[in-house]
Amino acid sequence: MGNTLEEHIKRTRQLLECGEVAMVIGYERGSVENRRRATFVKEVSELERMVLDGLCCENLANYLVREELLRSFDGKKVAIFLTTAGVRSVNILAAEGQINPDCVIILGFEAEKPGELDSAIKMLDGEHVDHYADSIQQLKSRGFVNDRAQVIVKLEMMSAEERFAFWREQFSRCVKCYACRQVCPMCYCRRCIVDCNQPQWINASAHDLGNLEWNLVRAFHLAGRCVGCGNCEQACPAGIPLMLLNQRMAQEVLKEFNHFAGESSTQLPVLADFKKDDPETFIL
Amino acid sequence: MARIGVFICHCGENIAGTVDCARVAAELSNHPGVAYAVDYKYMCSDPGQEQIRRAIRERKLSGVVVAACSPRMHETTFRRVCSEAGLNPYLCEMANIREQCSWVHTDKEEATIKAIEIIRSMVEKVKRNSELTPIEVPVTRRAMVIGGGIAGIQAALDIANAGHEVVLVERTLSLGGHMAQLSETFPTLDCSQCILTPRMVEAAQHPKIKLYTYAEVEEVTGFIGNFQVRVRLKSRYVDVDKCTGCGECMTKCPSRKIPSEFDCGLGNRTAIYTPFPQAVPNKPAIDRENCIYFKTGKCGVCAKVCPTGAINYEMKDEIVELEVGAIVVATGFDVQDTDIYGEYGYGRYPDVITGLQFERLASASGPTGGKILRPSDGQEPGTVVFIQCVGSRDSSKGLKYCSKICCMYTAKHAMLYKHKVHDGQAHVFYMDIRAAGKGYDEFTRRGIEEDHTCYVRGRVSKIYPQCGELIVRGADTLLGKPMEIAADLVVLATAAIPKSDARQFAQIVGIGYDENGFFNEAHPKLRPVETATAGVFLAGACQGPKDIPESVSQGSAAASKVLALLSRNELEREPVVAMVNPETCSGCWSCLQACPFKAIEKKEIRDRNGKVIKYVAQVNPGMCQGCGTCVALCRSNSIDLAGYSERQIFGQVMGL
Repeated sequence: MGNTLEEHIKRTRQLLECGEVAMVIGYERGSVENRRRATFVKEVSELERMVLDGLCCENLANYLVREELLRSFDGKKVAIFLTTAGVRSVNILAAEGQINPDCVIILGFEAEKPGELDSAIKMLDGEHVDHYADSIQQLKSRGFVNDRAQVIVKLEMMSAEERFAFWREQFSRCVKCYACRQVCPMCYCRRCIVDCNQPQWINASAHDLGNLEWNLVRAFHLAGRCVGCGNCEQACPAGIPLMLLNQRMAQEVLKEFNHFAGESSTQLPVLADFKKDDPETFIL
Repeated sequence: MARIGVFICHCGENIAGTVDCARVAAELSNHPGVAYAVDYKYMCSDPGQEQIRRAIRERKLSGVVVAACSPRMHETTFRRVCSEAGLNPYLCEMANIREQCSWVHTDKEEATIKAIEIIRSMVEKVKRNSELTPIEVPVTRRAMVIGGGIAGIQAALDIANAGHEVVLVERTLSLGGHMAQLSETFPTLDCSQCILTPRMVEAAQHPKIKLYTYAEVEEVTGFIGNFQVRVRLKSRYVDVDKCTGCGECMTKCPSRKIPSEFDCGLGNRTAIYTPFPQAVPNKPAIDRENCIYFKTGKCGVCAKVCPTGAINYEMKDEIVELEVGAIVVATGFDVQDTDIYGEYGYGRYPDVITGLQFERLASASGPTGGKILRPSDGQEPGTVVFIQCVGSRDSSKGLKYCSKICCMYTAKHAMLYKHKVHDGQAHVFYMDIRAAGKGYDEFTRRGIEEDHTCYVRGRVSKIYPQCGELIVRGADTLLGKPMEIAADLVVLATAAIPKSDARQFAQIVGIGYDENGFFNEAHPKLRPVETATAGVFLAGACQGPKDIPESVSQGSAAASKVLALLSRNELEREPVVAMVNPETCSGCWSCLQACPFKAIEKKEIRDRNGKVIKYVAQVNPGMCQGCGTCVALCRSNSIDLAGYSERQIFGQVMGL
């Protein structure tokens, strides 16, 4: 574990010293015990505050598209600590024209037991998104095997009414704080649809209908884009199991369109891509 | 404050039969923003239109809702009416209370309430409508006709004779299409080639027509008035500029046993060939699959004998990019395979042939020189049985529709046979005789009465060989008896079907097709040669089975539509186009990827120092068709559609 961080720090020091990167995005201790938060290091002297352990779960790709940060890059590269999910986020952001993947130096890592302080940390090879193509393909072929998948199966087995009641109950706790949106690397819109009020399609107040509208619209906006980093669920102060929705969507696009979010930096958006030989008999 | 006028049409009984129009008018006149509501028997009639014009002027209406039929039917009509009265046409909308209400309901009370709701909703939309001005786009004054059969030739000639350039693209080696394969034509029995070949020559030699044979359309982009078409000129391995059409290569080609497609397999051709001697252009091509040189690398006889050195084995396909303002699709039809009727033994018994094969037998230019000889032994058949509706009008096994031409050509076949074999017997099994057309019924009567064709109403259940004859077992349903005929030759009137690749072609050109694969016209009665895609027109049997006169009429009709289009310098396009809000666009390019018309491009946004600060999407209004795909995809709601804006749709939904 120590080695990993040391090697990464060595590399980041080198990158900062030679001036190749303007900033390193990594983790530091949070203000609360056992929490880690993002840190933005521009000077070699600041490197010592960085940490890397099993508690570093946040997908930092989110910060690559924060405009105020981008401005400070000034054309230089940025180095960033990412898990494979984070690399996939970078791929999508690149595919959607938000960042240039060549300007991102990846410091890849993987926690054996994410969320546990004493988890072993493995350093991943490859500083460019393209180096992760194979491991992403492996993830794709593995599919969605996790505890969540089992809960999803249970939800699927419910009747439509029961399922609706379940989600209604979950969403009833939503306070529309939009923390899920703020931490999501995919929510980079300059103006979110919930902030439109001419006309206001999505009710802003935190009642049943408005909550349902917001959470479902967000789930649809993430279809084929969510890499499953879990930032949203982590951030939700109401503990809404948002990843159930997101993973269900991801399973659906994998099954129907063989689309796995963030496969490459040139991947076409699943909902906007079409083939000329689709019969589309329903259109004309 | 909005001053909307609501005009409720009875459409005769069509709407008024199920909807209480007077009550609808009374209810609507109380709706906020409605200044005037009235019902009338026929709003689209002259007095109806006048009511609207007068109301706009006298009551100073700020918007109009016509509650009547589908906007596809009369939106243009009523928008023109509003425009005549000085109201921007895009402030007029139709509320469809016919197709979406009266026609689909029977309960008058409920239908009336639903009609009121539909109209209210539309009033809410019109309140939020804004004035729009049509977009003007330049017109490329050149037409493309795809398909060089009689319909395509006719369309090309009509357009060219009016003084416009035409590009005529034919997939096969020669102009002519199926008509070139026919012997004589009903109902006059004039020789098909005699009336067709001069037309083919005229089209090929016309100074305004650029002919591409052995060429295929690969891609169509752009829009009405401004299409870009990519055409692949398939390699003939013969330099047509050098070739004189002397035919020496064909005489000497050693590969001679290839079934001729033109003769429907009844005759043979060589590997270097023209489909038929009267082909236009009369320049051969090498069939790579069957050429000994291409198969083994040895031979080269054609190159040796060619007096002008026109043979070029290294020739490659060529791609040409063409700009045209209008496209006529005249790609024709095919004849259905008869495999589905195993009991008729087509393919197993050589003397069971299709109608098209019979045409080749009866044609003076055919493999038998016009003699009716059966394929098995070359003998003249003494009894011929013709079976109609093989594949057509058979929803269990074949196709639901009527192929339309078979009744007439079967009557003709029987007649031609009797004219050539005077003591022969001709029997026709039919379901109905459909001989509607000028001189058509007289023609079939003549076959029965003068040429003694024996018509049997009924179906054939089985054909099997016995002692060198084919036993045709069927039933005479008028007599209610089973019957058997020993025939020497059986001719199946197989169904006319769309080209096998019609669906793919429709997707290339961007037009619709029906469940069978025939191309869809814009309106079955009022716009028979237009498609739903502006600037693309239909002619001939690609739209549905047609005989020659009909195909020719459609060719001319399509030409007249093209001419109306090409007679203008600029075209007015619907201003219903998408617009991007550059402030909120985050440049994710979903819209760019999804736009089927390639109307979205990337635009740089620079600060005052000229530094690029971001890229956003931008819609080219000349290319946008207003389909709304981008609007639906935009996550940040940064795209809006003029005429169907978010505000309008929201108002409409909330009005319900």
